[in-house]
Amino acid sequence: MNKLLKTVLANSWIEFAARWILGITFIYASYDKILAPADFAKIIYGYELFPHDFINLIAIILPFIELISGLALILGIYPRSAVLIINGMLLAFIIVLSVNLIRGHEFECGCFSVKKAGYLSSAEPMLIRDIIYLILGVQVFLFSGVRKGCLGRLS
Amino acid sequence: MDNKKLIKKITLMLAVSVGLALIVNYFSPVGIALIGQWDKSQGVITAKAKNDVIVGKLEIEDVKTAKQIYDIGKSLFVDARSRENYEDGHIPGAVSLPLGQFDELINAFIDKHSLDQPIVTYCSGRTCEDSHNLAQLLLDFGFNDVKVFIDGLPGWEAEDYPIE
Repeated sequence: MNKLLKTVLANSWIEFAARWILGITFIYASYDKILAPADFAKIIYGYELFPHDFINLIAIILPFIELISGLALILGIYPRSAVLIINGMLLAFIIVLSVNLIRGHEFECGCFSVKKAGYLSSAEPMLIRDIIYLILGVQVFLFSGVRKGCLGRLS
Repeated sequence: MDNKKLIKKITLMLAVSVGLALIVNYFSPVGIALIGQWDKSQGVITAKAKNDVIVGKLEIEDVKTAKQIYDIGKSLFVDARSRENYEDGHIPGAVSLPLGQFDELINAFIDKHSLDQPIVTYCSGRTCEDSHNLAQLLLDFGFNDVKVFIDGLPGWEAEDYPIE
């Protein structure tokens, strides 16, 4: 088992695939939020976990952290730093989803716009998805070989 | 790789993200205020657009006032929620004009009602902005007496007022 783990961690194709999957996912995830920050802010409010004064700032800034770190992963610019940021976000998402799952918190505003934003999808699949992403992210972080398709010396 | 370098690069990337985010938000037509209105006791929650359309003056602050306006009988109550929600229960006499179908329904609405008709919009209470957006759209179309009943149907129900 230990040997298998080592092989997986050292496989540059897995690293390459994981980096691209995470990169594309985070760029894609940032897109809707950048186009509709007000809707995203309302979703953040719906979690009822954040101080009111920070909700808008999170809604403005988080999508750009997703975009920049996603781009950095795909282009291979500071990939280790980028994946650490992404792992941090995934960990935060996992904690937020778990907290609300455990306390059985549901927020349904019945508004057209928020429904459109897909808020009503349930937390469990999102949680499982984020855990899989985090496993990919850990592989990218721990990989110590030569990374494929990275931008020259910057990598 | 030493940790200092890693932290430096992370800081750089975060700084670029924050800078870019604030610049884009500043110039974007869909940009929002840096601090929103998320206190339900202060009215409807909203991220607040920079060019905020939500006019506080239009708001009917409490359910009893809304009921008085309703009892006078001159105002048309307009339900901004989806048609299904409307059919599940609405304020008696209210007409349905879902915000999401505004474009297709507004012409028929204008044919039926004069621009001087006093209107009160509502949706599902203080977590819902749709009634504000609907009010703004109606004002844009020339209706000159539009108010927003911010407690909406949940507030109405809580006072045991009739629903049909």
